[in-house]
Amino acid sequence: MTDRITCQQAMLQFFAYLDRALDGQPLEALERHLQDCLDCCDRLQFSRSVDAFVKDRLGDAPLPEGLEQRLRQGFQLVRATEKG
Amino acid sequence: MPKRPRPTSRRTARPTVRVDARFEAATLPHLKPLFRLAYRLTGNPAAAEDLVQETYLKALKSFRTLRDRDRVRPWLFQILSRLAIDRHRAAAREVPLEDSHEPDRFSLYDRIADEDPLPYSDRLHDEFLAQFQDEEVRRALLALPEAYRVPLVLLYTEDLSYRELARMVGCPVGTIMSRLHRGRKLLERALWECARKRGLVKVWTP
Repeated sequence: MTDRITCQQAMLQFFAYLDRALDGQPLEALERHLQDCLDCCDRLQFSRSVDAFVKDRLGDAPLPEGLEQRLRQGFQLVRATEKG
Repeated sequence: MPKRPRPTSRRTARPTVRVDARFEAATLPHLKPLFRLAYRLTGNPAAAEDLVQETYLKALKSFRTLRDRDRVRPWLFQILSRLAIDRHRAAAREVPLEDSHEPDRFSLYDRIADEDPLPYSDRLHDEFLAQFQDEEVRRALLALPEAYRVPLVLLYTEDLSYRELARMVGCPVGTIMSRLHRGRKLLERALWECARKRGLVKVWTP
């Protein structure tokens, strides 16, 4: 048997729930709340949508040309400095 | 391809060269994901390259202290993440992080429902999000303080557990949990403000 939680308490747990970081009593309490509260189900679904929306827009850039070479040169410089 | 420096003495130079070769073989395969993370944290390729270079030089200097060679990738990600946070501290742009619980309670869902910016929509919340350009979302993310942005971008990019994130960023699991919550709430607020500036919603109450 788990204690009932309010909508406000449930909302504070949404992200941990989406990140699979909830377990034990807090997880049971939230899932029980979600069974009875359609509003919180909609809110949780929206949080999931915002996460996916942002994740898809993080952006990417091609590896700059010659970066690996510049890194290797940097390593050599460090070696030379250490030896010198 | 530059020539490897010629060892001057078997006794002193060879072990260093061997360690350096091991370092390059162990770390350079992770260059692409590291650069991607750096780009997502900085928002521009030149700053990302600087961050990656700094990460590799720091890693080179402490490679001998890495005990578990199977954990090279998270170790490199950890160095880069902490450098990103330290740069922010060095630039003295720190804002109070835990001063109020008010941002934690902001609900973009409720604001959209209350304001109803698309009165004829039957998918109000989804259509609200669809109005943003990719660049606006990236700008909102980049405007977050690093203490929130770094764990959030790491989570989105690498899908790590809170324990792994805590280890990477160097703070307790509870702190990671609250920063991921607040970071997302600040992002929701930034999106709402962006919508207000673009005239997608009529009123904005802070």
